[in-house]
Amino acid sequence: MRIIHPFTQIFIELFILFRIQIAIVRHQLWWIIAMSAIFPVVTLIFLNFLLGDSSQDQLARLIIGNMVFSILLMGMNILGQDISYQKFGGYFTYYASLPIRKVNFILSLLFYGILTSLPSFIIVFILGQRLYEVSLHFEWILLPVALLAIFSVVGIGVLMGFLSPNPQFTNIVAQFLLMFVTFLTPVMIKITDLPIILQWISYVLPTTYVANILHEMLTVGWTASLFKEVFILIIFSCISYLLISKKIHWRVQ
Amino acid sequence: MLEPVYELEDVTFYYKKGRYKANDGISLTIYKGEIIGILGPNGAGKTTLIKQMIGHLAPTVGSVKFQRQEVSRNTKDVVKQIAYYSQETFALSFLKTWEAIYFTGRLKGLSKKEAKQQTDNILLRLGMEAYRNKLVSKLSGGQRRLISLGTTLIGQASVIILDEPTNELDPLKRKLVWEIIRELNYKGTTIILVTHNILEAEKVVHRVAVIDNGKLLAIDHVEKLKRRVDQRMRLEIYAHEASFQKIQDRLEGFGKVELVEDAKLTMLIEKHSIRPVIDLIQDEALNISQYSLLPPSLEDVYSMLQEQQRSE
Repeated sequence: MRIIHPFTQIFIELFILFRIQIAIVRHQLWWIIAMSAIFPVVTLIFLNFLLGDSSQDQLARLIIGNMVFSILLMGMNILGQDISYQKFGGYFTYYASLPIRKVNFILSLLFYGILTSLPSFIIVFILGQRLYEVSLHFEWILLPVALLAIFSVVGIGVLMGFLSPNPQFTNIVAQFLLMFVTFLTPVMIKITDLPIILQWISYVLPTTYVANILHEMLTVGWTASLFKEVFILIIFSCISYLLISKKIHWRVQ
Repeated sequence: MLEPVYELEDVTFYYKKGRYKANDGISLTIYKGEIIGILGPNGAGKTTLIKQMIGHLAPTVGSVKFQRQEVSRNTKDVVKQIAYYSQETFALSFLKTWEAIYFTGRLKGLSKKEAKQQTDNILLRLGMEAYRNKLVSKLSGGQRRLISLGTTLIGQASVIILDEPTNELDPLKRKLVWEIIRELNYKGTTIILVTHNILEAEKVVHRVAVIDNGKLLAIDHVEKLKRRVDQRMRLEIYAHEASFQKIQDRLEGFGKVELVEDAKLTMLIEKHSIRPVIDLIQDEALNISQYSLLPPSLEDVYSMLQEQQRSE
């Protein structure tokens, strides 16, 4: 047997775990696209009928809000339920029985969340502009920022899936959070339009910063003021990673 | 001299914050190169014991050592040397069969070439070569189990733990699995086999550990265990259902009569009681179509041990 250097093996592991996630997504690709796009796109169309003529800024906020909605739907709602189902189905016994690192396993789950969230994020971005005849600003820095934004939300989905006592409970919590965050926090509306209590709650949700960053970047472009928001998202991502790491019942440590 | 692979000492495990004892003071040693069967009814505590042996759970009391190292403190090293086949749902259902085995091999540290070579050999050995590009989820239940077994076989594990490997398999595939187990053992792999299928396991295992209610009832070589019931014979009676009660009443004084299949009763009788029992069952009024006397099997040992435990 050829000896592989432990350091190289870490990257092989991560690469193979990512390939497994890609293979899973490949098999479900059309379902994921349909599932992830249908709700944000329908909401987008509905709001178009409801609001009629609105300001460009208002329309941009709706498109960006629905992009965040799509991340919430796939990265938190569906992913949380998926992980909960897998946890109770004993799927993770397979991974825990292999000589792989916990950190790589968690990263592969987050990667899966990003893979499943990205299609609807892009679909809403393109379709929203066509539907509302709004032109959003695009620059390449949007890509890493979008990945960070998705990552910070996906962490909540993974955490929810692992913490929940059963899949039904995950479903209830995920539905509640989806509705609450989408409609009662500054995802589609400005934070100043919300009652003060909801404003305070909004500050502890990563989606508030995700919506802010996306709004700024897609309407104005990258500005130095976004560093602070990006830093907050990095903190959210680190906290959710640490919590996942603590809560996953991996092998005995 | 026999080299111990696993040493379990007074292993006790509680679930639900101490309210349910799944394992109760189990002590046993598993030696290099043997096939050991862990037998017991559902809920006996077999899987909990195995999960402590692979480092997924830590014993509440006692110790589990793998090659003289405490498993709960060295799980990374332990999982490198063992392969575990679980009863739980196969995690790679959305992959092609070759991908599931190949990727597992890579995750176990095989190079691309080794993983590819072993994947091809395993698919061939399992008779699944024709399905290599099929999604695991599109296979039948039995075929899925074989692919899951394939992911256990890939790699260079010195110990393989198989939890009910023949579940959901048809007789031909079951035979194939037993053959593979024998082959692996012949090459020096230690096999730990958890199964309900006592009759089939009897043909491959060297030693047996019987567990019930979380306790180890016995551990010994199959032949030695059988000798415990050597003074008895197993009587199998085939009769019409309507006669069952009458037969049970007649034989009451000779031992416990059990219904094992639709038209089959079985009981263990002392050798000195054979003549009077045969005389009794030859009564035409009992409608017995056939009977046979057989030497005790591992199943009889198992039943006897369970009876003993209940009477204690």
